[in-house]
Amino acid sequence: MSLASGVTIDDNCLTEFNNFRLSHGKTKYIIFKISDDKKTVVIDKVGHDQDYEVFRTDLENAKDSTGKIAPRYAVYDVEYELAAGEGKRSKIIFISWVPEGVPTLWSMIYASTRENLKNALNLSSSIHADDKSDIEWKTVLKEASGGKA
Amino acid sequence: MNPSNPPQTAEYGGDEVSAIVLDPGYSTTRAGFAGEDAPKSLIPSYYGKYNADGQEKLVFGDDVFVTPRPGLSIHNPIGKDGIVEDWDMAEKVWEYSFTSRLTGAKPGNPFHNGLNDIPSEELPTEMEVESEEKPLADSPLLMTEPGWNPAKAREKTIEIAMEKWGTPAFYLARNGVLAAFASGKASALVIDIGASNISITPVHDGMILKRGVQHSPLGGDYISSQIRALFKKNSPQPITITPHYLISSKTAVEAGQEPQAKYKTFPADKAPDASYRALLEERTLSEFKECVVQVWPGPNKLSAAGPNGVPNEESARSSPGRPFEFPDGYNQMFGVDRFRVVESLFDAKAAIPDPESIFPAPTPAQTLPELIKASLGGVDVDIRPHLLGNVVVTGASSLLYGFTDRLSQELMAQFPGPRVRVSAPGNTAERRFGSWIGGSILASLGTFHQMWISKKEYDEHGANIVEKRCK
Repeated sequence: MSLASGVTIDDNCLTEFNNFRLSHGKTKYIIFKISDDKKTVVIDKVGHDQDYEVFRTDLENAKDSTGKIAPRYAVYDVEYELAAGEGKRSKIIFISWVPEGVPTLWSMIYASTRENLKNALNLSSSIHADDKSDIEWKTVLKEASGGKA
Repeated sequence: MNPSNPPQTAEYGGDEVSAIVLDPGYSTTRAGFAGEDAPKSLIPSYYGKYNADGQEKLVFGDDVFVTPRPGLSIHNPIGKDGIVEDWDMAEKVWEYSFTSRLTGAKPGNPFHNGLNDIPSEELPTEMEVESEEKPLADSPLLMTEPGWNPAKAREKTIEIAMEKWGTPAFYLARNGVLAAFASGKASALVIDIGASNISITPVHDGMILKRGVQHSPLGGDYISSQIRALFKKNSPQPITITPHYLISSKTAVEAGQEPQAKYKTFPADKAPDASYRALLEERTLSEFKECVVQVWPGPNKLSAAGPNGVPNEESARSSPGRPFEFPDGYNQMFGVDRFRVVESLFDAKAAIPDPESIFPAPTPAQTLPELIKASLGGVDVDIRPHLLGNVVVTGASSLLYGFTDRLSQELMAQFPGPRVRVSAPGNTAERRFGSWIGGSILASLGTFHQMWISKKEYDEHGANIVEKRCK
C-alpha cells in the first residue's frame, strides 16, 4: 500500500460512473470533487454537452466554497475515428486537475487521493493537468487513442 | 491479522490527537505538530560533545553554536550519503527536536511532587512500579526518509519510535513522494537539492520507482567546499573565514583591504575542537550562498558560448558583481567567481580544484544532468514524458539564485522532444520544508488513520511491517 490520504469514495460516484458507462455517449463527463470536510470524493457535476470546450471550461471554473480556484477529478468519454479507417472507438479517460495557485493543503489532498479514485473506477489512461493547455482536445485524444486517432 | 491490510478501526487515539511530524535531514532536523504550516522546531542535526568534571557532556540544538567550550567537538549521526550511521545519537538528536519545543518535559510522579502528601503506609503499591512515561506516549508519529533508505534503517527507525518513544501509531513516508504530492502531482520527477546530497526521485502513481532513484554528494556542503577553494585562490589576497566567536572588535575597511580586527585567542587547553570552528564557518558560507552565489542561468554551460556567439564567461563578467562582508570586516565584490562555485553541479570540468578538500573532484556521473539521465534510464520509456512534464524542485540549496532557470535550460537541451516543465514553490518555507509540510497535511487528515501502523500491529508483526505498509 502506497502513501495515501485515506479519503474514501462515495458510493454514489461509482453508481453514477456505471450509468455513465452504459449511457452510450449521452453522458459525456463526470466531474468529482473532495468534500469540504476532506473525507469523501463526491460528484460535482454530470455533463451531457457534446462540446469538449464546455467540459474544459467547467474544469477551469471550478471553485471551492469560498470562491477560490480549486482542483477536481474528471472522467471524459473520448470518441474518435481510427486513422486507418477502421471505424469509431470510444474510451474513458481519467483527468486530475490541480491548477497552479491552489493552496498546498488541497494540492496534497488531491494528489494523495488520486490513485484511490482512479483504481476504484478501474481506468488505465489518465492525464494530469495543472494548466489549461494540458487538457487541449488533441492531448486528450492522443492519450485516449494511444496515438491511433 | 494480515499485515498488508489496514486496521479497520482507528486503533490509535482518534482524530483529536495531534500527530507529530519529524523530518530529519543531514543539516537540520524539522519537527512539529501535524496540521501546522511550518515546523515549530528547527534544530541543527549536528550535536556537540565535550568533557567537564571528567564526564562526557552532550550539547543539542542551537546551543551547539553558542559557547566555544574547551574541547567541544561537533558530530553528525547521519552519514554523508544521508543514511543514519550512529543510531544511538540519531535517536537523541531526534528526541531533542520534539521534546525541546513540542512535547516538553513529562510531569513527575504526583506522589513525589509535594502536592499530594499521603502517609507512606497509604501509598498504593502498584503505583510505585509504574514505569517512566515515554516521550511520545500520546502522539502518533509520521517520519520522513530518503528514497534510498535501506530496509535495515527503516526497521531500526520504527523500532526506536515504538519501543524507545512509545508512540501509539507510526508511519514512514518517502520525502520524494511528499514533495510530489505537495505540488499536486501523483507522478513527478523530484529533484531535491539538500546539504549532503542531491537526489532524483521518480514518483509514479504515488509510488517511488526505486530503480530510478539517483543521488550524489554535490549538495550544499559540496558547494561550501567550492567556495572555500575559491577563497584560497582569491585575489588581491586569499580569504580566511574567521567566525564571530574569534573576533572581539573590528573596524570598517575599504573593499579588498586587509581586515582591521582584534581577535580573541584561546590557549590550546581552552580551545574548542577544529570541528567547532568549521561548523561556525559554515554559517558564514551559508550567508555567502544566500547573498552572493548565483547559478549561471544558461543557455549552455558557463564555459561555452551563448546563442549570440559571445562566451558566457564574458557575459557573466559584465554583469554587476555582488559585495560581501566577512565577520572580520574584510569585504570585496564578487564578479564571475560567484557563478563558478556552483557550475560544477552541471559541468564536472568546471570544478575549482582543491587538493585539501574533503570532497574529491566530482565525476561527470555525479552532476545533475547525468543523474537525471541515469534516473530516467531506470524507468519505463512510456513514463518518461510524464515525468519530464512534471519536474518538482525542492530542498534548501535549490534556492540558489538562478537554479531553476538553469535546470530548465539543461533539461530542454537534453530532452528536446517531450515538453519539459519545472515547478518549484516560490515560497521559501515550502522549498526548505517541502516534505515536512506534506507530512503535516497528511498526518492531520482524519482519514489518514487507515495508514498508521499501530503499536498492536507492530507488536504482532515486528519491525518488518514497515516494509509492507510504507511502500
